[in-house]
Amino acid sequence: MKESMMDILCCPMDKADLELEVDHEDEDEIVSGTLTCTECGEAYPIEEGVPNMLPPDMRDDVPA
Amino acid sequence: MKGQEWYQTAEVAEEYEEKRFSGGGRLIDRREKRAVLEAIGPVDGKDVLEIACGTGRFTVMLAERGADIVGLDISAEMLQQGRKKAQAAGVADHLEFMRGDAARLPFPDDHFDAVMAMRFFHLADTPASFLAEMQRVSKDLVFFDTFNRFSTRSIYNWALPMGSRLYSRGEVESLLDSAGLRLAQDDHDFVLPYGFYRQIPGSVARTFRSADTSLLGAPGVERLASVSYWKSKVE
Repeated sequence: MKESMMDILCCPMDKADLELEVDHEDEDEIVSGTLTCTECGEAYPIEEGVPNMLPPDMRDDVPA
Repeated sequence: MKGQEWYQTAEVAEEYEEKRFSGGGRLIDRREKRAVLEAIGPVDGKDVLEIACGTGRFTVMLAERGADIVGLDISAEMLQQGRKKAQAAGVADHLEFMRGDAARLPFPDDHFDAVMAMRFFHLADTPASFLAEMQRVSKDLVFFDTFNRFSTRSIYNWALPMGSRLYSRGEVESLLDSAGLRLAQDDHDFVLPYGFYRQIPGSVARTFRSADTSLLGAPGVERLASVSYWKSKVE
């Protein structure tokens, strides 16, 4: 994911802004990190360059 | 969600395109891409969202034509196939893939110029909520296809491993109406269903396809089509 996505991404639950924490970056791509909702505090992981914006209730039964 | 488990396995993701879009299936691929381009093109500079983008067949095609596009899917395996395809096509700089729930999209209201979903609604257990969410994030176009209730698809539909929901025209019209969408254009194709084309080699498929197309020109035959493409506008 590129950092410019932060302009449009929001929390799928309450549509509030997200805060980005980068763990690993490769050139201009964020490979792994976390997006945290500034309102409800829910955390959405970025894995292999792909943000996982599935709401928490759908994440458990779905293998990564 | 009917396809949820089925499409999550790595083998299904890896074989997805080979199984569906080689041989006679290539004609289906071409027809679907034309339907998308006719409905939402030209896309140069437009913000587009594709729901249930899978391996990115349309996502990558639209990025190649200049769209700023986001592809959303539930399956990480399908998206990794899409990422490879986007990198090979050199369009990764204006294309993003992400996992998400189509009923709870991580985007603000009225953001995209066009929101589309191909081969999605037959897997949708609550189509009204998905369509309403597509409408919410679109400021102009919403485009999708359905498989039809009164068609040759109903012959083998029950046997499909991922399950499949069929729609009548009336159902689609009422879904659009409830979602605050106005039908702008509709197109209907494939009297012979997809499953038939997938079973036969490309050369034979072309003959059947041309018979199929001319059959559709006859009065009253359109309602036997197995696939419908619906272009709608936000009211």
